[in-house]
Amino acid sequence: MLNDTQEIRTDYAPPQKRSPLYLVTGVILGLILGLVYAWVINPVVYENTAPDSLGDVQKDFYRSTIAQVYAVTGDLQRASLRLALLTDPDPVFALGSQAQRALAEGQDAEARALALLASALQSSTLFPEPETELPPPQPTATDTPEGVPTHTLPVPTTAP
Amino acid sequence: MTRRTWRFVFFGLAILAGFAAGLGYGWGINPVRYSSTSPDSLRVDYQADLVLMIAELYQAEGDLALALARLDFLGDAPPVETVNRAIDYGETHGYALADLARMRNLAADIHLALGGIN
Repeated sequence: MLNDTQEIRTDYAPPQKRSPLYLVTGVILGLILGLVYAWVINPVVYENTAPDSLGDVQKDFYRSTIAQVYAVTGDLQRASLRLALLTDPDPVFALGSQAQRALAEGQDAEARALALLASALQSSTLFPEPETELPPPQPTATDTPEGVPTHTLPVPTTAP
Repeated sequence: MTRRTWRFVFFGLAILAGFAAGLGYGWGINPVRYSSTSPDSLRVDYQADLVLMIAELYQAEGDLALALARLDFLGDAPPVETVNRAIDYGETHGYALADLARMRNLAADIHLALGGIN
């Protein structure tokens, strides 16, 4: 039995005016893959970091350790050099606020050490005052913790 | 090669070009930045100074458990190893003898207390 079907070849080819959009699609696809690889699968790993890149909790630990060592040794210069590594905008404020938090958590010894260092730094010239002037503190209704040395200036009184 | 094959080749090249651009941007121009690095990624001199602080506190307090808890901050490495690394650094970088003695004392006490554990 003969097979009568034959393939008919024609020379006619329809004009293929396809836009190069597929190239843009490829670039975008590659870009996405590249970013996923660089950010998620194999991101840049930081080593040999400095203390100022630590997280807040770790910075608190670092600051607290510095303060406790200062409370033991009394070496203010060393403490201030160590504290400078954390690059706090206002180290005295950072110490003070951490002292408040420690006190609220019932860690009296740590709070005392932090406040002691804050007080010592405030009365020394090792740390310059912050450039921006802070507004005067408004009185709040919070209780002043006992046992934490505060830096209270004597109020001048007028003689009667 | 047919036109169709060339299209596949160009498409592959475009993906590669995009991938390279993505890597360049993700690694070079705008890499992932960690603002909260862990303490074990600290440079060795900072780690050594932290160990020294812990040794200073241990000398004053005499509380080994507290010292070990503080050393735990520096990562999962065995505490003796961490202290010994700091001592090595201190010895090669001219730490004061008193500071080295404090760290050696801490290392000895940890070794004595933990023995074969670490």
